[in-house]
Amino acid sequence: MERVVSASSLCKDYQIGSLTIPALRDLNLEVEEGEFVSMYGPSGAGKTTLLNLIGGLDQPTSGEIVVFGHDLSTYDEDFLATFRSAYVGFVFQSYNLISTLTALENVAFPMELAGWSEERVKKRSEKLLRLVGLSHRANHFPAQLSGGEQQRVAFARALANDPPLILVDEPTGNLDVETGLKIVWILEKLKAKGKTIMVATHDERITRLANRTLHLRDGRIVATDE
Amino acid sequence: MNEIAFPVKDLMRRKFQTGLTMIGLTICTAATIFLTLFGENIGFEITLVTGGKLTTGFSNVFSRFIFTISVLNVLVGALVTSFLIYLSMSERVRDVGIMKATGCLSNIAFGYFLTELSIIVFTSCAAGTIIGVLTHLTCIHALNTMGFSVSQRPLNLWAILFIFFIFIVASHILGTQPIIKAIRVKPAEALSPLYSFGTTSGEPGKLASSKPGLTLKVAYRALMRRKSATRRAIICLATVLTLTTITIAGGITASQTTQGYVERAVGRDIVIVGHPDLTRKYVNLLSQFFEAKETESIDYLDSRYRISESLVSELSAISGVFKADPRLVLETTVYEVPGVIIDPEEPNQYIPVGDHRLGEALVLGVQPERVINEWLVFGRVLNETDVYSAVIGDSLALEMFTDPQKQAIMVFGKNFDIAGVCLDPLNNGNVVYVPLDALSTLVDGQLSYNFLFLKIDPSKSLQVLAEIEKQVSGTMLEPLELNEILGKHLDFLGYIWSFVMFLPLFSLATATLCLLSYMMLSVTGQQREFGIMRALGAKPKAIVKIVFTEALIVTLISGAIGVFVGLFFTFEFLIPEPIISHFTLISVAGWLVLVLVFLCSSSLYPAVKVVKKSIVRVLSQP
Repeated sequence: MERVVSASSLCKDYQIGSLTIPALRDLNLEVEEGEFVSMYGPSGAGKTTLLNLIGGLDQPTSGEIVVFGHDLSTYDEDFLATFRSAYVGFVFQSYNLISTLTALENVAFPMELAGWSEERVKKRSEKLLRLVGLSHRANHFPAQLSGGEQQRVAFARALANDPPLILVDEPTGNLDVETGLKIVWILEKLKAKGKTIMVATHDERITRLANRTLHLRDGRIVATDE
Repeated sequence: MNEIAFPVKDLMRRKFQTGLTMIGLTICTAATIFLTLFGENIGFEITLVTGGKLTTGFSNVFSRFIFTISVLNVLVGALVTSFLIYLSMSERVRDVGIMKATGCLSNIAFGYFLTELSIIVFTSCAAGTIIGVLTHLTCIHALNTMGFSVSQRPLNLWAILFIFFIFIVASHILGTQPIIKAIRVKPAEALSPLYSFGTTSGEPGKLASSKPGLTLKVAYRALMRRKSATRRAIICLATVLTLTTITIAGGITASQTTQGYVERAVGRDIVIVGHPDLTRKYVNLLSQFFEAKETESIDYLDSRYRISESLVSELSAISGVFKADPRLVLETTVYEVPGVIIDPEEPNQYIPVGDHRLGEALVLGVQPERVINEWLVFGRVLNETDVYSAVIGDSLALEMFTDPQKQAIMVFGKNFDIAGVCLDPLNNGNVVYVPLDALSTLVDGQLSYNFLFLKIDPSKSLQVLAEIEKQVSGTMLEPLELNEILGKHLDFLGYIWSFVMFLPLFSLATATLCLLSYMMLSVTGQQREFGIMRALGAKPKAIVKIVFTEALIVTLISGAIGVFVGLFFTFEFLIPEPIISHFTLISVAGWLVLVLVFLCSSSLYPAVKVVKKSIVRVLSQP
């Protein structure tokens, strides 16, 4: 199996004025292809920071982070943009949909960036919205969708370019139980498809799906449940 | 915190926005002050002085231009201030919400922001006034250094105070409106993350389909989401671009038109033949336009100055001489003769116009069919059948007559009906052209000339001049080519207009400020979305393209309005009988394209700024 993520001695500090706040400390991690890894830990443990580093959204202060064979700390912003577009699907805790685009256009956005043909983009966007059960909301703007619906659109968008790695940050944190179940169902389907998935979550329904659960505290992995 | 300390600290905290607003207002005030003082100093009155009289003359072109630009500058200054305060308030509405939510009364919050406005307005207007006065003094000094004797008149303090006051009042009136609007927003609304002061209008522009491409679609939707701010930006920018267009198109056209008027009046490739005393005097009189000189009195009828008919015939016959125009030139006192016009209130009644004013003028007896000059004439030129008709210079018309074309002028005791008014730099426009026969009869009873004007072939000028010299040798006459003096006239006008052409730079700076401020607001409002796009794989240049497209849309819409209104106004109202050459059109178009390109390029600054921010930091902002 191919190694998807390899992090060694990974450190990330945030500078707030003269104050240095360590978010990750000497973290080592390896994730194999097709693995479903959940991350558990209190707020400020470093879960989101780790996802950001793996997704190439941020650069480590020190250490090495290699994703699909690319040492992400050595590349410029243009390469990282291409990398994200090709390898990574993000689902953010606060959905992060583009407010001026409809649900369908939000899903289509990564494909349009990647230069797909108009027809192919349309077909796949509709298919993905059907997958998350939102065909009937295709032409609605984010402000016209509920939180659960926005999260499902975010999932559809994350799958747009069919990325091998899906990074998900607290997908059910802002949702009610019933809507949360729909998200769990989507994750189950993704796992069944063989996607490599990393999820930061406190939701036991999701951790139960994982092959591994990492317990993070103060920027370190303190325990691992297989 | 007291009522002054809070606004001052607040302004200092928001240096960039405060700076933009202050620079905008300072530029507008400085431009208006400069224009008014500069225009007044070089001897032309603001247009109202000539109101109700003739709408002719160089001074009129210049003063109309100055008046229009000044009015537009005041308008732009107030609009820019209002717009920038509006943008500032759109970023402050949450602060207002917090102030009100914590128990601050609306009137106290209003007082804080009004104090901020007053600090900005007073400081900017004071700075603008100082800069305007200094620019004016520098320009006058520069003109004098270049050899044009422009006297430094005392500064018109009343005009300075008036403009200062107008800017203070207009900026307060328009600047207070967005503050009142922001204060009226309910605290719950103001604190809601979904609320955005004047920047959200529900549906984010459904008009754009997916077809125009990702960049255009995202840019258009973003502009439509900020409908209110976009509309204000377009109005503000269109007004600024109207001003820019008028300064560019009006400046270039007025410069070329006035130069054209002079060239037509003086004539190109003209050689005058006369006694050296007279030719020297004539050049001095022609130079009055740009250089005040004392001229000694002269007896024009002295027999030494006469040119015989036979010499006129011989010189006319030289190969390369296109036309010969013999003249009798004299200086004398002329008198205004009142006329009558139909009473506008009672059409069957006549009322007298004019008075019995008098003045010194240069009187030129000409043979209408042989005249080589092509003045811009309001009314008509003299023709062969005219006996006691005259064409007078524009300065004489403006200073001595109420309604010249309804009046007559008395020369050597004889009344001449005024057929037209011409623009003529000779003797600074204090000239009277009458039929040569009539003038000769009045002064000595026989036809005589003391000047001969020859229009020559420019390609053979050296040979023709040599031939003329040969013909006049042995007489007391000399030939003198006027191209050099014409060149000085054109240079003088060129220098004056080149100073006025600083104005497009002023208005361009104002337009850039407007667009830059709007784009800063737009980019700030969208930076989270740009962060999302980057997280999804958009490269930095894709974000820059979106921001540039937004700026391009706003600039093109404002530009279309501003350029159309500006050109229409310039050519319809501002410049009487504009002389428009291919060069004029190319210059105007070139400058306007440069302005629009520069404007759009200025949007790259906020775009580059936003893509340099860390994605994680942008996404973590509320």
